[in-house]
Amino acid sequence: MMVGLSGNLYTSSLRMPRGVGTEHETAWSRWCKNAAERPNSEAIIHWTGGEAAFRWTFSTLLAAAKEYASSLVERGVRRGDVCAIILHHNSQLYPLYLAVCAAGAIPAILAYPNPRLHPDKFRQGIEGMSRRSGLDWILTSRELQPVLEPLVTGSGSTIRGLHFPLEWEAHREDSQRLQEHPPQLIPTDPLLLQHSSGTTGLQKPVLLSHNAVLEHVKRYAEAISLTNSDKIVSWLPLYHDMGLIAAFHLPLIFGIPSIQIDPFQWVMAPSLLLEAITQERATVTWLPNFAFNMMAFKVRDEDLHEVDLSSLRLIVNCSEPVRYESHENFLKRFQPYGLRPTAFSACYAMAETTFAVTQTPIGVVPTAVALDRASLARGKVEPVTDGVPARICVSSGRPIEGCEVRIVDENRFDAAPGSVGEIAITSAAMFSGYRNYPEKTAEVLCDGWYYSGDYGFQVDGELFVIGRKKDIIIVAGNNIYPEDVEDAVGAVPRVIPGRLVAIAEENPELGSEHVAIIAETSITSEHDRKSLRLEIVKAGMASGITIASVYLVPPRWLIKSSAGKPSRKGSREKLMTDRQRSEVWSG
Amino acid sequence: MIKPDLKHAILDELRLEDWQIDDETTAAEVPGWDSLSHVNVILAVEKAFGVRFSNVEVLKLNSIGDLQRLLDSKLG
Repeated sequence: MMVGLSGNLYTSSLRMPRGVGTEHETAWSRWCKNAAERPNSEAIIHWTGGEAAFRWTFSTLLAAAKEYASSLVERGVRRGDVCAIILHHNSQLYPLYLAVCAAGAIPAILAYPNPRLHPDKFRQGIEGMSRRSGLDWILTSRELQPVLEPLVTGSGSTIRGLHFPLEWEAHREDSQRLQEHPPQLIPTDPLLLQHSSGTTGLQKPVLLSHNAVLEHVKRYAEAISLTNSDKIVSWLPLYHDMGLIAAFHLPLIFGIPSIQIDPFQWVMAPSLLLEAITQERATVTWLPNFAFNMMAFKVRDEDLHEVDLSSLRLIVNCSEPVRYESHENFLKRFQPYGLRPTAFSACYAMAETTFAVTQTPIGVVPTAVALDRASLARGKVEPVTDGVPARICVSSGRPIEGCEVRIVDENRFDAAPGSVGEIAITSAAMFSGYRNYPEKTAEVLCDGWYYSGDYGFQVDGELFVIGRKKDIIIVAGNNIYPEDVEDAVGAVPRVIPGRLVAIAEENPELGSEHVAIIAETSITSEHDRKSLRLEIVKAGMASGITIASVYLVPPRWLIKSSAGKPSRKGSREKLMTDRQRSEVWSG
Repeated sequence: MIKPDLKHAILDELRLEDWQIDDETTAAEVPGWDSLSHVNVILAVEKAFGVRFSNVEVLKLNSIGDLQRLLDSKLG
């Protein structure tokens, strides 16, 4: 699947490091070369609110990685083993990740469990994931030992042991040995395992080789005109492709610094990102759409006194549909603080293609088109006329080098020009299939094309992404499967069994979607309805899902699908029309 | 102890009729109070009491008791 190097990456104006992606190169050899060529240059700045940042240079990062690698090998980790990393974001996470690669093993960063999630649910999720991903070891904190320990001893699990690397003493002597006998990695060896979204326990594992990642970041670096004076800043989680590939691997491979902020800290104090940009003179960041709203609306003026965003040349909106209003509001709020209107851009990306598929041109405001909303709902792309409700769609750009995009109809034939359809992709950095999941692979991968399940259209070669084929709810960049929500709340007493649906509701304030439930019930008193709403919300909480709206409706209100089950789409449309009617109770 | 006016500000923001809240209660135990709504709850409390919390103060909160003590320190 891999293709050769593109020559124009090596133009002198870009001043890229020499030899990225050469025939024998691996990510590990690239990191070692960076450490040798620029030992004292900053590699990762771990940014923490209210404390001094922890600063890794390329040499200190690699030295720490070698120490951790020796300890991993000593504890039985072998070449090809999959090591899940489940840790809070902290300064040791980065060398530990590199250490797994140094040992020839495969890192897979997984989300730290949400405190609401019931421990049994979390464990079941990891167990399900382990069967597909073939997890061998879990590197975690002592806090999770009681929850995860049963997975080591239980039958049917692939997990051989838990390790607690944050408790390890350094092994300098051993790391010297690793330096003298580096791992004999080759470019086709697997580098990492990242997970695409899926219902709980069924996340789809994507295995990527050193070569695939090196090639992809090289192509993407070209698409965003990366230079060695760039400085990346990110609050994104590393279990997501945007955080892992764009904001972590890309700078590490190109030998430029990245500032990493704990996602939990950022969401509690969104101005942390602005503070980091100002103090570190950062130039490039990636944000899901809701983050534009969080910062435009939830940061107080008092927190902006010293903010200066003039260093920022590129903000890439990626991982949920781009909303025009979010860019407008962000610009209005931050232009007085030095934000350049031309810094906005958008990208369409996914784990299955390593990361990016398309990217808008750099230094140009992304194209926006005003379309007839009603026509768009019928799958037709038509310009809006006066007095008709419009939907403004923002471009995600053209395919980056090595990628192609088609819009297809339900039979996977090319859709007529001007039609909305499913986005199909072929990419030089395409995955070869989900690990141990042939049936899911067969559903989405056919003749070298990946059928994304996303809906969109093209205008003059630019891709516009407007939604999902399936009923997935995208909340703040996270894909939530309605089946998971329905399972979580399906057993709540007084909801008629099997008679509820989970749907997406647009949340304009958040710049994203939230989860809503429509449930049939026979109860009618206000007191009972309020108490039922609370029971539904609590049932979602136990599965780590926030239910923002509950609609209670009388028996036989939900629209049935042809299979006789409640139809999410049909019921959602009915709700939009009938929301004001007295038979619909909302809370 | 969580005073009624703080409890009221929190419940109001989260659209809850009532919920048991004491010193040790954490955000994760209150329906609707997740990482995305956290900033809304903090802004609502600031508005209700005419106070301002810094990022560092917000990041150090572990329980609603901590929030009450921080609020008390601001109100003198």
